[in-house]
Amino acid sequence: MRVLKNIFSQLHTFVLWLLASALFWGWIFTFVTDTVPAKKVTVYCRVPAVEDTALAAALEQDMPEGLRMVQVHTFDYVMFGTDAFQRGDIFIVPASEDPEFVKDLLPVDGERVKAYDAATGQGIATDYIQYGDEDYYIYLGSGSVHLDDGAALAVARELLAMK
Amino acid sequence: MSETVTELYTDADMERMRQKGKIWRRALCALAGAALAVCVSLALLAGTENALRMELAAVAVSTVAGWIVIYGVLFVVTPLRRELAHAAMLRTEERQRVEGEAAVTDERFTIRKSVAVRRVEVRREGEEPVRLLVCASRAGALAGASALYVCHGYVAAYEVSP
Repeated sequence: MRVLKNIFSQLHTFVLWLLASALFWGWIFTFVTDTVPAKKVTVYCRVPAVEDTALAAALEQDMPEGLRMVQVHTFDYVMFGTDAFQRGDIFIVPASEDPEFVKDLLPVDGERVKAYDAATGQGIATDYIQYGDEDYYIYLGSGSVHLDDGAALAVARELLAMK
Repeated sequence: MSETVTELYTDADMERMRQKGKIWRRALCALAGAALAVCVSLALLAGTENALRMELAAVAVSTVAGWIVIYGVLFVVTPLRRELAHAAMLRTEERQRVEGEAAVTDERFTIRKSVAVRRVEVRREGEEPVRLLVCASRAGALAGASALYVCHGYVAAYEVSP
């Protein structure tokens, strides 16, 4: 009883510690689980839903040499900074929004490659990505730092192999 | 008729309080260190797939360990340190002798933010009772006291008539 009374008398301190702890370790883990663009390949998906962690882990199983990690984000993530979008390595976008993005994107292997065919329901990484009711295309980012070393293309091919 | 003066805080009591404080401080430091080591290990073991689980585990470990440390510091170590300082004051500063029948009342509050004290009334025939304070942890010792030694309004020692 006395312990409970003591706790309630300093409840604000205990709550403050909980918040400080969550913020601090959140910051540390963001730092630990991220790296410089040169050591990661980032995939942006403009889709209704994506299992980002599971897809990233699957792509990391056969990662090109020199990379530390693969990150997968939805387009909501881009809202936090256009720099992230400009440095993105791989993009999966719906056909209806192509004109908006295509000027900043490069086709994979020199041609426009379909990531999802709405007519047949066939697409890449459908175990991880939930597509909408239209076709989707996969592109490389024109600002990617992995165009020269081929890592962006390698991960894109890995994605395409997930059909 | 011989009367003996009994200190509320003996040398042994002071030493016991110092030791208790030291043990608590060491235990809390060890807990904080262990929690930090666990959290750093979790951060180092984090990968793409388990990052969220590891982060939640680190938050849980650091939060619970922090709560225990905060509780220990606020409600054990600090009150002990303050009671020790209060006891040192009672033992060293000038005292006055107050004769009469001592009765500990139910009135209790805290001084120095965390030292619990109780009100003591010394009743004398034909006079208003003298109102004093005594540390709550020592209040029981005053039963049957016939005279009190008082320092800044706090009972420091007592006499019991045989």
